[in-house]
Amino acid sequence: MFSVPKNPIYKSVSRRKFLELGGGVATTLGASSLAVGLNSVINRTPVMAQSSDDAKWKQYAGSRLVFMSENTPPSFAIRDNLETFYDLTGIEVEILTDDLPVVQQKVGIDLRGGSADFQLNYVQDKPIGSPFADYYEDLLKYTRDDTLPLDPEGYDEDIWFENFLKACGVYYEPGRIVAFPYDCAVACTFYRQDLFEKLSKDFEVEYGYPMEFTIDTTWKNVYDFAAFFKKMREAGHKDIPYGYAQHQGSFAWTLQLDIQRMLFAHGQWTEFDIDDKLGSKTPGPTNWGDEQSVLIMEKYKEQAEVSHPDNLANGTLELNTVYQAGEIAMQVQYHEFAASIEDPNTSKAADGKTAYAPCPKGAKEWIATGLDPVNGCNCGIGGIGINAAASEDLKRAAFLFASWATSKGTQLDVLKKLGGTPTRKSVLEVPEVKKAEQRPTTMPNALTFHAVYDVGIRDPNFVLGPKIPEANEYHNIVLTEVQRCVTGETSPEEACEEIRWQVDDMNGI
Amino acid sequence: MIETPPRPARSLGEAVGETIGFTQEGARYLKYEAGSLNPEGSRRYYFYLMLPAIFVLACITIYPFFWLIYMSLHSVDIGGAGDMWNDFRNWTRLTRDRKFQDGWLRLAHYSVLCILFEVGIGVLLAVILNNSRFEKVLVTIFLMPMMVAPIVAGLVWYYLYNSTFGWYHWLLQSAGILGETSILGDRGTAMWGIVIVDIWQWTPLIALITLAGLKRVPRDQLEANMVDGAGAFKNFFQVTLPNLYPFLLIAILLRFMDNFRFIDAILVLTGGGPANSTKILPLYLFDISFQFFKLGRGAAIALTLLIMTIVLGLILVRVFESPAGKVNQNEEGR
Repeated sequence: MFSVPKNPIYKSVSRRKFLELGGGVATTLGASSLAVGLNSVINRTPVMAQSSDDAKWKQYAGSRLVFMSENTPPSFAIRDNLETFYDLTGIEVEILTDDLPVVQQKVGIDLRGGSADFQLNYVQDKPIGSPFADYYEDLLKYTRDDTLPLDPEGYDEDIWFENFLKACGVYYEPGRIVAFPYDCAVACTFYRQDLFEKLSKDFEVEYGYPMEFTIDTTWKNVYDFAAFFKKMREAGHKDIPYGYAQHQGSFAWTLQLDIQRMLFAHGQWTEFDIDDKLGSKTPGPTNWGDEQSVLIMEKYKEQAEVSHPDNLANGTLELNTVYQAGEIAMQVQYHEFAASIEDPNTSKAADGKTAYAPCPKGAKEWIATGLDPVNGCNCGIGGIGINAAASEDLKRAAFLFASWATSKGTQLDVLKKLGGTPTRKSVLEVPEVKKAEQRPTTMPNALTFHAVYDVGIRDPNFVLGPKIPEANEYHNIVLTEVQRCVTGETSPEEACEEIRWQVDDMNGI
Repeated sequence: MIETPPRPARSLGEAVGETIGFTQEGARYLKYEAGSLNPEGSRRYYFYLMLPAIFVLACITIYPFFWLIYMSLHSVDIGGAGDMWNDFRNWTRLTRDRKFQDGWLRLAHYSVLCILFEVGIGVLLAVILNNSRFEKVLVTIFLMPMMVAPIVAGLVWYYLYNSTFGWYHWLLQSAGILGETSILGDRGTAMWGIVIVDIWQWTPLIALITLAGLKRVPRDQLEANMVDGAGAFKNFFQVTLPNLYPFLLIAILLRFMDNFRFIDAILVLTGGGPANSTKILPLYLFDISFQFFKLGRGAAIALTLLIMTIVLGLILVRVFESPAGKVNQNEEGR
């Protein structure tokens, strides 16, 4: 039926030889596919300044990049929208997302190891930007490169919201841009307007002023509100939630930000006498331990005593869950969480029950320095940066993505889809977004925009630092000592002194 | 009686060759190589056989070990400026590093609590399960926690403990054991929170190993003791338990070493808080090395951990060796 050759090749190959050959081929294929799978790919079609925009966008078609990011709504939305970027450039981008502490470890190892497995990084200002700023490429040179398709709005400081470019893009020396602002989480006050209105008269009888939240509401008022709610609850009104809760939890940065807001509100106190926006690699002795810091530590501890009883277990995410569950009436929270608060399927605080206000102001009677109180506000500005260890072509290809991901069109798209947090001013000028700042809204995060963009991030309310290379260790020291103080293990004086000693020791002083 | 002719003396090489199916010629070659008549040559032959394994071992353990020592004596900056000798500063710093010292105390506290409860409950479980009607089914069910990745176990318990929606919190609160503060949110109870997770996950391992030991307890010893008038209780402590010592030694050693290196669940549950109350030394080591990237300091801490593990391991072996040895000697005597 079939013709069989006289000496077929399979007869001349012994079983042993076959196994050897098979093993060799499998090993080669495995190793090469692993190498291809783990590495980025770069293809380049040279373009010139006179080339069309389309040609400039497509000059790296067929390439592949990896972006390591925090699991934030913009990253999810952009991941869902990668096809648009692929259509525009022909570049395949893999977006890996994880919790911020994990991202910090992974990009830290990648950056310092010099392997550039992640060509694009999420540069969260202090946990990632401060310690690793030197390992990122300066983006300034690409913004002046006319062989790259540049954003029509440009990348100058004034096209981003106030302080944003400085926050995540400039470290230790001016004139070098490490990252473009990609998303942001700015603190503001979320409070239960329905409960405030309901209980305001009872509160006024006891405290002599109405319970309402305005731009002039101070931390002292917040303490009074929280004490009032707690008293009501302990008097047997189980339907009334606790008044307030702090950001504690295990991720050190959240607590540092929490107490920093209060410290800065009272006479713009900062940890070091350095340029807060620029930071310093040699910050000098810390201000912890001075009269103002001890006073605020004392007030922070008092605030913990009237807060939700599980205060110490709640980090930022958990705190928001507590608020969603209707267990607290107020929280100072990051504005990106408004979308989850306004979702009636997951939140008891939805359906117009929550109102948004700027962060509380400092109370004059709590300022030992005699300086002015402000609405102390801080943030996490997540930038997108490029690993300096990558090859020049990979870096240029990565710039295309960084530019696209922070463009007005992409930010608007993300805002509409998953509740993004724009970083370009022009997004807020879109009529659709302006309209969404009032209820009823299709973009819940927009309800916070006045408190955040018109008040919080503007000087003199905005505090950023400390931008120091040892930022993560600093956060850890603050977390430990503040928690020890709050739990009564140490006094406010001892806690501040302990922080001072450890921070100065860390900085070699 | 048939006398078998005496077999010519074979070298080890020939014996091995025959056993593994070489031809006589091959076996003779091995004889030459092994140099069985020459102890020096024989030793060299075994050394050559072991060489690949020694090489692999050297690459994955010995080289990193010496590299660890090197790092502990330098300021290490991967990818940055070169490593710099720092006059033992990584070591001297440890003497005034309170977090390091507290980390040791917490690790001791955590390990002792975990091992005490796990051994107690594990042995009890094994005794109950041994030869019971549903032994196989129950053992399979009890083993389930062990099959869960520690990080997943941590996440599950984190949610169970949560004061807002955690089922266990609700249960303990309803029983009046907890107030509104969750077990992980209080400095006084957080350590118990992580110990409970470890007990839940790893007691089955102790039970499993003990169960294997129980199957090896000689029946004649048990029966002899009963003839001497011992009841079940006395029998357990006089015969069963001494026979279990070698098994318990393995179980305790395994758990002891695990407690020194498993931080996944704690990292998820508390991250070392609140107020560092659950920051055991390996967690502090993780912070220093991979959060703050102080690899030199991290190496010094890791070395102290390694040395202590070896010392405690040796002590444990000594402690358990004596009674176990006696039992074995007794057995041989009989």
